[in-house]
Amino acid sequence: MALELTVSGVEASYGAVRALAGVSLHVGNGETVVLLGTNGNGKSTLMKCLIGSVRPTAGMITLNIDGAAHDLTRLTTEEIVNLGVALVPEGRRLFPKLTVEENLMLGAYRSAARAKIADNIALSYEIFPVLKERRTQLAGTMSGGQQQMLAIARALMSSPTLLLVDEPSVGLSPLLVSQTIAAIGDLKRRFGLTVLMAEQNFNQALKIADRGYIIVHGEIAYEGKSRDELANNALIKELYLGAAAH
Amino acid sequence: MSFDFELLRDAIVFGLLLGCFYAAVSLGLSVAFGLLDVPHLAYPAFLVLGSYGTYMLYTLGFDPLVAGVILTPVFFVLGILMYRIYYETFEKRGADSGVRGLAFFFGVMFIIEVAIIQMFGVDQRTVSASYIGRSLEIGEMRIPNRLIVAFIVALVIAATLYLYLSRTFTGRAIRAVAQDEGALRLMGANPVAIKQWAFGIATATLALAGALLIIVAPIEPTLDRAYIGRTFCVVVMAGLGSMGGTLIAGIILGVAEEVVKIYGASWAPAISFGLLLVILAVRPQGLFGR
Repeated sequence: MALELTVSGVEASYGAVRALAGVSLHVGNGETVVLLGTNGNGKSTLMKCLIGSVRPTAGMITLNIDGAAHDLTRLTTEEIVNLGVALVPEGRRLFPKLTVEENLMLGAYRSAARAKIADNIALSYEIFPVLKERRTQLAGTMSGGQQQMLAIARALMSSPTLLLVDEPSVGLSPLLVSQTIAAIGDLKRRFGLTVLMAEQNFNQALKIADRGYIIVHGEIAYEGKSRDELANNALIKELYLGAAAH
Repeated sequence: MSFDFELLRDAIVFGLLLGCFYAAVSLGLSVAFGLLDVPHLAYPAFLVLGSYGTYMLYTLGFDPLVAGVILTPVFFVLGILMYRIYYETFEKRGADSGVRGLAFFFGVMFIIEVAIIQMFGVDQRTVSASYIGRSLEIGEMRIPNRLIVAFIVALVIAATLYLYLSRTFTGRAIRAVAQDEGALRLMGANPVAIKQWAFGIATATLALAGALLIIVAPIEPTLDRAYIGRTFCVVVMAGLGSMGGTLIAGIILGVAEEVVKIYGASWAPAISFGLLLVILAVRPQGLFGR
């Protein structure tokens, strides 16, 4: 399956506050692309535009699947999810009063995923053994790291081809950040996913990135064509000096 | 007053069966209020509407329980329409939809009461069937068959709802929707469609529950008022949205009412509100709340 995501000139605002001022980027089939930026620069807004929960005021978002182009700015979230796009949202957004397993089952809600539910649950438990141990526990009573694993596993239950991950490191200890990001890299290889990850932890994000973008004040300030290019550019040093300790 | 063991024993057995009946009439509210957070004050009015629907089919020659089954899909559609109106006029506008919704359902309750009075008058109505009026005799105890019927139907509705909510994709989505609508959307489900469907199911249970109501005792148009306290008490005591909990909470209310009746029958109607207040003060998440 060939897949390509193209974002061009996307603008979005919350009332009078402009969050995105003409963002263009591109994610090719099988790539892991990272969107780097500190808080409040528009990463989450872009992710919400991609999944259809925020409507851009201008610009195009096109998802090309096997030669068929879909204009994501015109589709509802349900329709976008049914195309095989899954978002691991910022703050995880689990169903706190349902069990781990019930959360996973809900991840497989879309009709294309229901047939693969047994295989996908087995895979989720293999990758995150702690979820298997805690499958009857209420999601809201787990630790932050376990909740993040569940949020990622739940997104994978929908058998996505394009995985969007918004700030997986928020609220996690440095060790857990490193484990979580490594797990995303591992999953990407095993499922043959295409991944776009928004992250502020530059050092960790680079470990799994093929290439990436830096977003500042709602605009793409730098495009790194490779991991090395990203790692060695001046802007990164300026933005992350001192913040790149772990 | 000397302690009368037999009186207490009878009260407990009766209360247990009556309690299952209370659970049966509360299960739909457990979905509508417990899971969806809709302040459905008109719920008991729909219950009484179910009884009058049963009565109408009964006068055409149907058995009351069969009438309840026939009315179930009709009530399902009625519930969907009801939610649609509530959603378009209140919930969609957000913010203080809770309080306005309360006023809306309060109004709906009066409209249903008046409509019933217009159609059927204020006289009590009753039905008869082979299982009404007879009793099962165990030793010295006589248990009315109509309460046994109510007991069995309550178990069937509770078990069906439990299985539906825990084993199906839509059922799980119904349990998730009030916890995080946005997250449910990310799973590819439409939260409004899910709530509408669930409201249909909640209302559908009232067709059979309404049949039970007229099987258990004669009905009158304003009987719904006695059930506002009872149904909300059972649902809150159960822990919002727990089907097994609803069954047990119903039994607790039934036994409490019957036991209190031994000492002072005039207090019985106050039991439900009393229990509701105690639960809200002592254990607001309910007995089986998560």
